Amino acid sequence: MRLLTLTLLAVGSAAALAGTDTSVDADTGLATWQTETRGIQVRLTQISPDQARAFYLARGFSAAAAERYASECVFMTVVRNIGDTPIQHRLTDWRYLSAGQPPRAIRSKTAWERLWKHQGVPEAARIAFTWAQFPATQTFAPGDWNQGMTSYSVPRGGTFDLRFVWRSGAKIHTGKLEQLRCADEPS
Amino acid sequence: MNLRRRISGAALAAWCVFGVPLAAHTADLPPLSHSLTLQTPKPAPALKLKDLDGQTHDLARFRGRVVLVNFWATWCPPCRREMSSMERLSQALKGEAFSVLAVDVGEDADTIGAFTSQLDTEPTFPILLDTRSGTLQAWKVAGLPTTFLVDRQGRIVASAIGGREFDHPEIIQAIRELLKKIIRP
Repeated sequence: MRLLTLTLLAVGSAAALAGTDTSVDADTGLATWQTETRGIQVRLTQISPDQARAFYLARGFSAAAAERYASECVFMTVVRNIGDTPIQHRLTDWRYLSAGQPPRAIRSKTAWERLWKHQGVPEAARIAFTWAQFPATQTFAPGDWNQGMTSYSVPRGGTFDLRFVWRSGAKIHTGKLEQLRCADEPS
Repeated sequence: MNLRRRISGAALAAWCVFGVPLAAHTADLPPLSHSLTLQTPKPAPALKLKDLDGQTHDLARFRGRVVLVNFWATWCPPCRREMSSMERLSQALKGEAFSVLAVDVGEDADTIGAFTSQLDTEPTFPILLDTRSGTLQAWKVAGLPTTFLVDRQGRIVASAIGGREFDHPEIIQAIRELLKKIIRP
């Protein structure tokens, strides 16, 4: 695999980007951001509008419903417990911050489910959607990991920071991935 | 900058469109681990589903056997990666009181068959259909893949969230230890 580092991103504030690894896949141009801190690894990889559209069309979404989801900024999200104690996350605690906007919560699976029902998306397609999203909450024992899609209401090509929150024992921790960039339509 | 565990964007692209991670990029994906999380034994929820041929399998009828219960879907990349290792595990313990039950969520037999037919060795264990995901919810599965190890008394004794290499010697050893345990009446 040929991975090129996004050197341009490194030109910004080194302090602001400390702890965030960034890479771009040479074949697809899709970027990945990753950080490891206090027993957790969080990695987000861009999913292009084409990919999001194709994935859900293949699972029974109507063109309009698939387009609705593809209009969001979608990332494959991976969380891994790299420590030695269990960790737990609640997606409702996570916030994303984009320019000129207050911190926003990630749209929940429940909210999407309401929308899909309203749009008449078949049950089988809705089930696939639900399980393809990153879990709303989950406890990871050491070595456990999971992946799923998360979506953000940020324009294509737009950037945002993601503040993620997790619990380890009685302690609540936060971490941040900075300058995540939404995938754009191929030109 | 250094990404220690990198995922191939190309593999991701193929997964999105076809549900198929590119084989050529498998080596680029993070390695599957082999850890199992021991749990305080508790009775396994009910599991009674039809397989690809329409035959019903009831976990209650597997009492006396150690059972690996795996929840998965064909579009889930780590689920696809670990599938072959479950077959190798099944073969490694052939003739012993051990079974694998793979529970697919929300897909039909044709979709599953299209995937399993691409594997080097097609699974010989039952693939069960949880078309409306009711069983996953009963088992409190939050994401795919999730796997449980059920002992000979029908109790969940270990679990794994995320992809695993199930034929790793440590997992085989853990199962053999369970097989040695005497069932209490």
